[in-house]
Amino acid sequence: MKGKSELSNLMTIASEKKGLLTVAGIFSVLSSLLQIVPFIAVYNIVKELLENVQHTAGIDGDVLVYWGIVALVSLAASLIAIYISAMSSHIAAFHILYQLRVRLADHIARLSMGYHTKTATGELKKIIEISVEKVEKFIAHQIPDLLSAIIVPLLFVGYLFWLDWRLALALMIPMIIGMWLQTKIYGGAKGQQAYRDYQYAMEEMNTTGVEYVRGMPAIKVFGIKAARFLTFKSAVTKYRDISIGITDLYKKPYSIFFIVVSSLYTFVIPVGILLVSGHANSQSFAITFILFLLVSPSLSAPVLKLMYVGSGMREIAEGNKRIESILTEPVVAEPDQPRVPISYDVQFKNIFFTYDNAVGGDTNYVLKNVNFEARAGEITALVGPSGGGKSTIAQLLLRFWDVQQGLITIGGVPINEMGTEQLMDTVSFVFQDVHLFYDSIEANIRMGNETASISDVIHAAKRACCHEFIEQLEDGYQTKIGEGGTHLSGGEAQRIAIARAILKNAPILVLDEATAYADAENEKKIQQGMMELVKGKTVLIIAHRLSTIRMAEQILVINKGEIVEQGSHDELLRLDGLYQKLWQAHISSTTWKLGVQQSASTTNA
Amino acid sequence: MMQYFTNISGGNVRSLWPMGISAVLDGIVRVLPAALLVDIFNTIYMYFAEPQLGLDTTRLWTVSIVLFVWMFVSYWTFSVQYDRSFYVAYRQAASGRLELAEHIRGLSLGFFNRRDPADMTNMLLSDYGQVETTISHNVPQLISGLILPMLAFISLIFLDWRMTLAMFVALPFGVLLLWLTSSLQERLCENQVKARNEAASRLQEYLGGIREIKAHNVGGERFQRLRISFQRLKETSIALEAIIGPLIMGAMLLARSGMTIMIVVGSYLLVGGSLSLPTFLLFLLVGTRIFDPLTTVLLNYGEMKYSAYSAQRIMDVKREQPLQGDKDINPAGSIVFDRVTFRYNDHAVPALQDVSFTIKPNTITALVGYSGSGKSTVTRLISRFWDVQQGEIRIGGQALSDADPERLLEHIAIVFQDVYLFQDTIGNNIRIGNMNATQAEVEAAAKRACCHDFIAALPQGYDTPVGEGGSTLSGGEKQRISIARALLKDAPIVLLDEATASLDAENESAVQQAINELVAHKTVVIIAHRLKTIQYADHIIVLEQGRVIEEGTHESLVADEGVYCKLWGLQQDAEGWNVRT
Repeated sequence: MKGKSELSNLMTIASEKKGLLTVAGIFSVLSSLLQIVPFIAVYNIVKELLENVQHTAGIDGDVLVYWGIVALVSLAASLIAIYISAMSSHIAAFHILYQLRVRLADHIARLSMGYHTKTATGELKKIIEISVEKVEKFIAHQIPDLLSAIIVPLLFVGYLFWLDWRLALALMIPMIIGMWLQTKIYGGAKGQQAYRDYQYAMEEMNTTGVEYVRGMPAIKVFGIKAARFLTFKSAVTKYRDISIGITDLYKKPYSIFFIVVSSLYTFVIPVGILLVSGHANSQSFAITFILFLLVSPSLSAPVLKLMYVGSGMREIAEGNKRIESILTEPVVAEPDQPRVPISYDVQFKNIFFTYDNAVGGDTNYVLKNVNFEARAGEITALVGPSGGGKSTIAQLLLRFWDVQQGLITIGGVPINEMGTEQLMDTVSFVFQDVHLFYDSIEANIRMGNETASISDVIHAAKRACCHEFIEQLEDGYQTKIGEGGTHLSGGEAQRIAIARAILKNAPILVLDEATAYADAENEKKIQQGMMELVKGKTVLIIAHRLSTIRMAEQILVINKGEIVEQGSHDELLRLDGLYQKLWQAHISSTTWKLGVQQSASTTNA
Repeated sequence: MMQYFTNISGGNVRSLWPMGISAVLDGIVRVLPAALLVDIFNTIYMYFAEPQLGLDTTRLWTVSIVLFVWMFVSYWTFSVQYDRSFYVAYRQAASGRLELAEHIRGLSLGFFNRRDPADMTNMLLSDYGQVETTISHNVPQLISGLILPMLAFISLIFLDWRMTLAMFVALPFGVLLLWLTSSLQERLCENQVKARNEAASRLQEYLGGIREIKAHNVGGERFQRLRISFQRLKETSIALEAIIGPLIMGAMLLARSGMTIMIVVGSYLLVGGSLSLPTFLLFLLVGTRIFDPLTTVLLNYGEMKYSAYSAQRIMDVKREQPLQGDKDINPAGSIVFDRVTFRYNDHAVPALQDVSFTIKPNTITALVGYSGSGKSTVTRLISRFWDVQQGEIRIGGQALSDADPERLLEHIAIVFQDVYLFQDTIGNNIRIGNMNATQAEVEAAAKRACCHDFIAALPQGYDTPVGEGGSTLSGGEKQRISIARALLKDAPIVLLDEATASLDAENESAVQQAINELVAHKTVVIIAHRLKTIQYADHIIVLEQGRVIEEGTHESLVADEGVYCKLWGLQQDAEGWNVRT
């Protein structure tokens, strides 16, 4: 039952290219039938020869040549048919693969960040690359193979039964044994378990392999090559042992299957001998017998094909399950009719949030009853100890996660009623750790606004103080980042991210420690650039250097998921609470000098 | 061809022997049934030629029994061959993967900077998967597929050379067709493999940057670079099938046309009386059996071609030389840059140009300068990510170019700007600094780096797993874990690359204290953009466009009124800045 539903999924995928696949199937059957013709041609020649064996002069050379040419022509025709079949099925397959991959990539981008933090990229990558690749096999090879492997033997066996049912029956026995062995090989619980183990071992090998390569700088610096190598080694070894285990498991049944199916004539011969002796017209029977012997090898081929289809089918079913597991993962729900806010005040109302999906009585909320309003044209700063939930609040505004309780609105419109497109157009975000794409600097800045002209891009870069260093690069704005290209420092990357945000010019701006990596001269400049950027916008800013946000209209002090204090800098200082402590700590940290041991009294602030 | 086997076996051709021998054995065993079948036809022919003698059923029964018995023999050889080829395939792939992994860890970090990591992982994982299939399927099928035709050719040539020639005359043309087009095929394979790797790299990038992608709403089809790479992959795959397919089929048709040529020649010879009927019959029979294995060979040829390219790529990486050197350095000595010029890969502009300075032991040296001035390059060169092109770097008098790169790193603790966390527990991620550290030592280091509190607050504490790349922790948290690692490592040379950049106020002052502990009585090189923090460094080196432009203490540099003085002034301004001034 289960196998069936998996197959039907694949069939749904395949049906996207029904026309091409029908052509592929028809020509596949046609080519298999044409492949039998040469054997029949040889049979006819043998028949002509044997019938005239007593008087060789009576042999008609033209008949022989005629059948020789028939053999060649049918062979050529069958190859052409194979080609047509293979091309149609491959074109269909590669199209479907392409669509499937784009669909997966699209779907992944719609999933909440919760999914991405708990799923390793190695795993997703493997599914999109390898599991999808296997669908190609199914569509390009297995569908046409399956058709010809079923239809051809049926037609063929029918013809043989019509010729001589007893010989045909003898031929059927090993074929049936073969089919039975096949279900035994692949249907057994043991086999299925082994296959599952194999999949997991392979996945583990992939994950550790990706980590081994990506973490190499850290690995080398800490001299933990041996340990990390051993982790990878044990994954590789496990994969090898499980693979070999499967080899051992299938060795016997598969070998028997292969030998029986490729020795079909061995089963026909004794029956033939028995029959020929008692046959009235033993000469004509002997010729039929020869036909059986000649064609039986060509019957092994479809049965072996079926076998490969069977083995391939499970691989695909497993891969397909993985593909489905991504596609059925619920995406962040989109509203049917996205609402467009007219003002850009941001409001958090009674927000409760946890990264764990399971909410129970003792849920450890990351945010607890968070309420605030960030008004348009004002700056709202989030401060507080690390891990208190500042970044979480900022990222919730992008709907990277949906909250468990409460409502986040922009201009009175709940963000889940705005639709991703609208929301992302409304909010610009500069992340703490910037990710640049392996593309030109221009393209990286342009991510903020695809339709911007190059002069807009340069203008934004100037304001973010990255124009100068970009100009100094050999290829300027066309310089490729990463991957054999230029590696930018943290400060440079951050300024590009700021340029991105400037270019996007969205009404709401979220800055998560946006100037953390900037160096002295540029910090000053960026700050100037940002002053323009924040004008008339709703700004949420996370900063640990409290001096930068001192003049914010509103400062929210976040601690352990709650807003503990709220107000302007002066108001907060007067409260003599956490903010005041943070401010003291900030003052002392700016006077910190490396290598100079401070007295406990100033650092314990 | 030899090169091919060297490549797929990772240079150890001998390891392929068990597979090769068992495949030959299996091929030989399969010849007998074919020969016995010929005998059956012959017996039946005799019955037609001399009907008065009747059908020799005794002979037929004997053959039949031998065939049945032979099934057991071929079962045995087949299972041996099956066994051997899979064993060799999986073992070879496993040891190949490990060898490559072993090899790349010896390569300089510069190599990893240059190469696309996705490309490397592909090699380690999927390219070896291809090699697996080649060894387990393609090569054995190729070998056993060749035995029957070869033996048949040799024995038939004695029987009737004209007929044999007719049968095989077209075969060389088929091979020739494949051989002549092999560079075209290679190009197609190469294109497809390139497209596949490109797609893999784009995918890696896409998944890695998913947060930005979501934030800019450019997912799926709108992320053009990924879509285009998938499109390219589709096109090159179709092109590969569309062009290689007809070539292989053409070769097959040519090879198999031997049958027709043989029939035509046979009929002519038979009618002319210079060919006996049984001989003709024999050739006909052999003809029906001989081309199947040859077809298998040709089909495998295409796939082998493809995997040869995978193997080639692996060998290229294996030829990459690891950093040389076996000398240990004395970490208590000075770090000396002696007229060092260094450029990344083939960049025209050097990252460092004729740079000389000395860092005395147990002092704090600060590197100051604009982004891209070469500060990070200096710290990377001290840890020997690359060797310099000109000049020399020495630690304690020992040139780094002769130093053992691994032992060198044992003396150095680095806190990077970007921290990589492994998919493991937090505790183990800290323990990376010192694999032998006890839990108490790990916690002590965590406390000193101010990460104990947030770790202890997690439901599973130190056993909390962190995601690949550390995605579940904030930037500040990651940085503190990285400082804890360095504390645990306790190396005499400490390199700090903007180590406190993403800490918040409360933690910053605490971490600063931890850093002060970390740097006590150590040789320290620090990159910090906030000049106040390095005001009291023993030595400040100011870099601009890869050159040392100023050097001295804070006081002397301020007095000189140069670049440093300007930066200092700017920063004093910036400190007083806030978003509303």
